[in-house]
Amino acid sequence: MGRSGCPIRLFHLTSSRMIQFLTRRLLLIIPVLVGILLVTFIITRLVPGSPCYVMLGERATEESCNDFMQRFGLDKSLPEQFFRYIMNLLRGDFGMSIKDRRPITTVIAERLPMTIEITILAMLFASIAGVTLGVVSALNRNSFIDTLTMIGANMGVSMPVFWLGLLLAYLFALVLKDTPFQLPPSSRLSPGMSLVPLAKTWGLKDVSGVKAIILTFLSNSAILNSILTGNFKLLVDALRHLILPATAVGTISLAVIARMTRSSLLDVLGQDYIRTARAKGLKYSLVISRHALRNALVPIVTIIGIQTGGLLSGAVLTETIFSLPGVGSRLVEAILGRDYPVIQGFSVVIAFIFVFTNLIVDASYAYLDPRIRLK
Amino acid sequence: MKKKLFALLSLLMVASLLLAACAQQPAATTEPTQAVVEPTTAPTEAPIAAPTEAPTEAPVVEPTATEVPAPAYEGQKLEAPNCDYGGNMKSMVALDEFTVQFTLCKPDPAFLAKIAVPSFPIFDADYIKEIGGDAAKLNDNPVGTGPYIVKEWVRGDHITFVPNPDYWGEAPKNKEFILKWNKEQAARLLDLQAGNVSGIAEVSAEDIPTIQADSNLKLYPRPINNFLYMGVNNTKPPFDNEKVRQAFAMAIDKQRIVDNFYAPGSVAATQFAPPGLKPGFTEGYKGTTYDPVKAKQMLTDAGFDFNAEYTLSYSERPRPYFPLPSKIAQDVQAQFAEIGVKIKLEMEEWATLLPEVRAGQKSLFFMGWSEDYPDATNWYDVFLTGSSPSFGNPFPDIVELIQKAATLGDPAERQKLYDQVNVLYDQHVPTIVIAHGTTSLAFLASVKNVVLGPYNENFDQMETDSGTLVYSQDGEPVSLYCSDETDGSSFLACRQIFDTLYNFKYGTSEVQPALAEQCSANTDGTVWTCMLRKGVKYSNGASLDANDVITSFGTMWDYNHPLRKGNTGVFQYWKDFFGPKALNEPATP
Repeated sequence: MGRSGCPIRLFHLTSSRMIQFLTRRLLLIIPVLVGILLVTFIITRLVPGSPCYVMLGERATEESCNDFMQRFGLDKSLPEQFFRYIMNLLRGDFGMSIKDRRPITTVIAERLPMTIEITILAMLFASIAGVTLGVVSALNRNSFIDTLTMIGANMGVSMPVFWLGLLLAYLFALVLKDTPFQLPPSSRLSPGMSLVPLAKTWGLKDVSGVKAIILTFLSNSAILNSILTGNFKLLVDALRHLILPATAVGTISLAVIARMTRSSLLDVLGQDYIRTARAKGLKYSLVISRHALRNALVPIVTIIGIQTGGLLSGAVLTETIFSLPGVGSRLVEAILGRDYPVIQGFSVVIAFIFVFTNLIVDASYAYLDPRIRLK
Repeated sequence: MKKKLFALLSLLMVASLLLAACAQQPAATTEPTQAVVEPTTAPTEAPIAAPTEAPTEAPVVEPTATEVPAPAYEGQKLEAPNCDYGGNMKSMVALDEFTVQFTLCKPDPAFLAKIAVPSFPIFDADYIKEIGGDAAKLNDNPVGTGPYIVKEWVRGDHITFVPNPDYWGEAPKNKEFILKWNKEQAARLLDLQAGNVSGIAEVSAEDIPTIQADSNLKLYPRPINNFLYMGVNNTKPPFDNEKVRQAFAMAIDKQRIVDNFYAPGSVAATQFAPPGLKPGFTEGYKGTTYDPVKAKQMLTDAGFDFNAEYTLSYSERPRPYFPLPSKIAQDVQAQFAEIGVKIKLEMEEWATLLPEVRAGQKSLFFMGWSEDYPDATNWYDVFLTGSSPSFGNPFPDIVELIQKAATLGDPAERQKLYDQVNVLYDQHVPTIVIAHGTTSLAFLASVKNVVLGPYNENFDQMETDSGTLVYSQDGEPVSLYCSDETDGSSFLACRQIFDTLYNFKYGTSEVQPALAEQCSANTDGTVWTCMLRKGVKYSNGASLDANDVITSFGTMWDYNHPLRKGNTGVFQYWKDFFGPKALNEPATP
């Protein structure tokens, strides 16, 4: 028996089995994406409404809209439109937004960093606090702490995020105004602060293609931009603006993680090998941290993965309340405005992120629990 | 075996995708596919060529040993062969470097008011040519003559404007103007209360007491002509019966709706036109009054089916004229229930409701309107001349009067005609106008010199302690190519960086010269000659001249103009104001 208390089976990430597993999963992403594209394409076009009427509003006439649809190729048959779209997609061309005729890749590169920043901060907050609360709760089962923690978790799950967001904004922006605890209630940065494009900072000219997309992505990530340009003031401002939205959206995940941690840990604590480890005289804290928690992590990591994937698809309500230019708000805007290329492009990217996140979670199982065989 | 088969299939799939990708010629650009618009097979008029040169007479200068004669200005012109193409513009000519002449097919007393609307900005012709008239390129680098220039547009977040050092008018009083947006009214108010912004748009009626109670904030009501109406489609039974429509108009207690759901200062409608519209509004005319008993009797006499359910469609889209859509709809439903009429409410998404209404598929619906310019033609002509099947068939007696009034220059004569229209409106009931809503903006009390008009705000003249003015509106601008835009969010941004020939004086609905020093009409109002302001510079250093006007207007007017690209490519405002057709526009198949 090894230190883990279970049969040793070393499972290196670089093993051929792991490589096969990862390759197979990556290849499986392709039919998933094609399927999502097809479904999104058909659904968006079958939904009643036309982008022309959204853009022109009450002024739209049948003649104007016929012209509009023709200009954007929307008068062609669905199979023809789909075929053209796929062919362009294979060349890396996601098309142009109907609303403002900007390349979808640029729109994604602009919006995704914001969503990733919120997600990372929210999940860091939710994971650390959630696991801690779950462990405390499990170790003090049926005590006052346990009851309080679980009531808090239930409340966290039940609170609507837009309500929580407004409440936090009210508390930290108004009630605590003019105190050191004041936080901005909206926006990405304070007025006067801005994200200077990295191409401009670094004197790069005529950048196009994939390089341009990567630069756009990096430029629009306030945290990365500030680190790369050494702008500490910008970094602090960006983080201050992220605290409230990350807290609002992370609270729900925190509650879910706390409950799962408690449940999973209680399950593991009831196992024989834990009793054996205790009987052998190991310190309780070592038993919990080295043996119990690690074995309880698989379902916790699964939940964290699902929550992360969900957040990466855009926390619409949070982005709306805090006026943040993320994926969710742009996607909802595109759906309401029937901006088909944006809906399709974002759906593909979100699906890819979700599947990839699940892949990382699955791959992490082998690291966390050597007993898991990958067949 | 299965593993090998799977691996083989995977490889084949990847190979076929790669082959498909490489088989196509790489696109030179990522431009959207644009259909080639073929000219009509039998055009009723000869297609107009690209703008031609109309050389002006050069001043006679005797060349000396040191003098070189200045080259003659090559003014452009654009003209239609006749007025049968379906629009009201006949020609536009650059008579000289600073004079433009517009010839209309029919007189238009609202000409100056129309060209003051932000959808008629004047662009630098050379710059438009350089970018191919593409709104996407203009958005990245807008070049205008306005008080501000764009420092940055962070998509989804804000636009920062800084003063234009070459502005021809009064320099902005703030060093920076930041435009932000948030769809949620509550979030905008929170921003204002926190001091995060200097001012916010579209304050809801429910927030007004909060703002008035806060000494750090100040409320600014905005006078604007608008209305909420219930559309009634007169081709859909039982609304094809005039008595039924009249009864419906009588059954609605408009005052109750205004008292319960509208901001202070809003008024119940008494006739078609809003009170501020002159000529148009008939003083002292009360129109159809609320009388539920009589309404019920009229319905009974008309054989109305009280057992049937009638659908009333609307969209949950708060506007100053429709502040609480669902609550107002429910109240109207309750009012009709009082007289035994069963109304079923159908809330639809805007993107689906609007096309259905425009196609004449709805019997009853709520819609509204805010005026673009202060003239009756922006009301009567839009709604009552049968321009869309939303309301069913137009009424010839109304149409005739409206079309006549639109050609007259004398406001008193026009008013006489509109007086008759207002009475006929109550008789025929093409729509039921419910209310005229006020809207308010709010600013920090420390912001000085706030002046709001129906069509603009004096952001460039407002003063803050920090020198930075931050304003939050309810949506992001779609594009800065406002010739091809229809949304107010874009117009607000465009007003900061572009100018029109005329504009509206701050705080009023009076037009005043802007890029044009003066525009004067001939006797019958069909020829307008505009003298441009000299010495006006664009933000790229170019000088304003008459050809800029020809290009800016020409791209909107001429369907075949080589620089007509814009954002949607429709240029709807031109068609609404000087249409309904653009020059060389192909006939609808």
